[in-house]
Amino acid sequence: MLIQIAWRNVWRNKVRSLVVVIAVALGLWAGVFSDAFMQGMADQQIYSVIHTKTGHIQLNEPCFLQNHDLQLRMDHADSLTSEISAMPGVAAVSAILQQTSMASTSASSAGVMINAVDPDDQQKVSDLYTMMVAGSWFERSTRSNPIVIGQGLANKLKVKEKSRMVLTLQTDQGEIVYGAFKVVGIFKSQDSEYDKLTVFVRRQDLLPLIHLPESTATSITVLLNNTEDTEVKMAELNSRYKDLQIQSWTEITPMLQMMSSAMTLTNIIFVGIILIALAFGIINTMLMAVMDRTREIGMLASIGMKPGQIFWMIMLETVFLSITGAIFGLVASILMVNWFGRSGIDLGMLAEGINSVGFSTTVYPGLSTAMYAIIACMVVVIALIAGIFPARRAISLKPASAVRGE
Amino acid sequence: MAVIEISSLTKTYNETTVPVHALNGVDLQFEKGEFTAIVGPSGCGKTTLLNMMGGLDAPSSGEVLVENEDITRMKAGPLVEYRLNNIGFIFQSYNLIPVLTVEENVQFIMELQHRNKKEVRDRVDHLLQVMGISDKKTVRPKFLSGGQQQRVAVARALASKPKFILADEPTANLDSKSTDTLLDLMAELNEQEQMTFIFSTHDQRVMDKAKRIITMEDGKVISDVKVSN
Repeated sequence: MLIQIAWRNVWRNKVRSLVVVIAVALGLWAGVFSDAFMQGMADQQIYSVIHTKTGHIQLNEPCFLQNHDLQLRMDHADSLTSEISAMPGVAAVSAILQQTSMASTSASSAGVMINAVDPDDQQKVSDLYTMMVAGSWFERSTRSNPIVIGQGLANKLKVKEKSRMVLTLQTDQGEIVYGAFKVVGIFKSQDSEYDKLTVFVRRQDLLPLIHLPESTATSITVLLNNTEDTEVKMAELNSRYKDLQIQSWTEITPMLQMMSSAMTLTNIIFVGIILIALAFGIINTMLMAVMDRTREIGMLASIGMKPGQIFWMIMLETVFLSITGAIFGLVASILMVNWFGRSGIDLGMLAEGINSVGFSTTVYPGLSTAMYAIIACMVVVIALIAGIFPARRAISLKPASAVRGE
Repeated sequence: MAVIEISSLTKTYNETTVPVHALNGVDLQFEKGEFTAIVGPSGCGKTTLLNMMGGLDAPSSGEVLVENEDITRMKAGPLVEYRLNNIGFIFQSYNLIPVLTVEENVQFIMELQHRNKKEVRDRVDHLLQVMGISDKKTVRPKFLSGGQQQRVAVARALASKPKFILADEPTANLDSKSTDTLLDLMAELNEQEQMTFIFSTHDQRVMDKAKRIITMEDGKVISDVKVSN
């Protein structure tokens, strides 16, 4: 009956309770939706980095990533690629030869990072082929030396599809060679800085130019079926290829991992601050409720209700009040997050700034079930804490005077 | 044998500032089945005396023995149990739980006593029948008249099967018809079930029904007479 009384007590003063319920609902809705927005941005960033740049795992010769020295290459990359492709849980593998270079046109020149790939393999580990704003991803390139470049670089070098450009290359003997390439595609990823620096050529075109055998690569990119399997596959690869440096996406881009963790923590703190602010409103409402019911609480104590039972009656009222608001807030948040999670929120007006830090201009808010559960638990904990003061106030009333309303 | 024995009971409020002697050496005994009215002017100590007997307030000195157990020495926990199992309270302002229906108000105290469901149901039905409010069992107190609310309060006081009932000015807010009905019901319960009633009152109609009238003044008992109606 204590639960029944507590629930009915919540609705004795409907206006007062509804004000608190609406405040909690709005506060949670705002907090959860902004969390989902931030988390969506972070998740998209992680997805984008994995599916355009790093894959889940990369294999290199030790120290290659520090100086991109061609001496630190894998001469039998194709056989390694075949072996890794056959491993369960591996979605795709691509061998890449990376080299820093200078790209020149009649109008300008720029430093670039050449990624020499097998286009079909690369298409399986990277979504860049879906981000073409001009031309295509090597599809109509039957002639030699096609090149796909980022839009930022195209603008800088003032080139467009079918334009020609020259790459200054270095053989593993240090000899400088030049290669003429024809632009067959221009891509625009979420990261404008990446687009200013990155070009893709075919491995079959580049390797002869720099006098390397056809099976040579400097990196092998591995895409897994599930991101959660990264650590397990890392361990398998480490045990198989002890001489290679094997890194996960979190090691290649530690900032990304840190950002993801920091985002989760920030989200919890943000909702926590909102809930603490709301807690003061709840305390105020419950204190008013206790003061309004001084006579009734005095009567309950007089007839033999234990202080503990009175305490928990007030605590339950606080929890019911808070949870009612939380349910409305969370349901509104879930509906809104799902809606915008499908349609996305267009931040086109902020495109330049957002792209420069690698974020997409269309944000798809999303929040994990675990995060919703954490927020729900936080509401209960905050409600219990908020209820302590009014509940203690209720049990501190002296029955003899409280029953007379004093 | 006396149900309640009060000896040398004093209660002084504001002992450190301006002392007010609400009770000033009260000695009384109450037998089972009494129908007693405590009367006197406002501030004479009637309510304070009831509070001491009900374990709602602690005296400055003296003792209140209920069946030979001094309740003034009880700790808070046992005192709550004592009130729950031994005393029925009736208040001037009815003090029902507004969010509960009539029957829920009556059964609430029995649920505090952890009585079994069948016993609770049967007793609630019986008491509402006795008090003549069976047809109001699903109604909330705000839809009842003052007299009906006070009858629910009496039913609630009886529900816990107390040793005695303390009623603080129970008819103060009632019209004469409701007062007569209520007093008749209580007198009947007193006669038939030997239930002990102790009232504080200013109401002549209560005094007319009482079998014993204790008159107080300035915290002292100035007369204690048994009357035959």
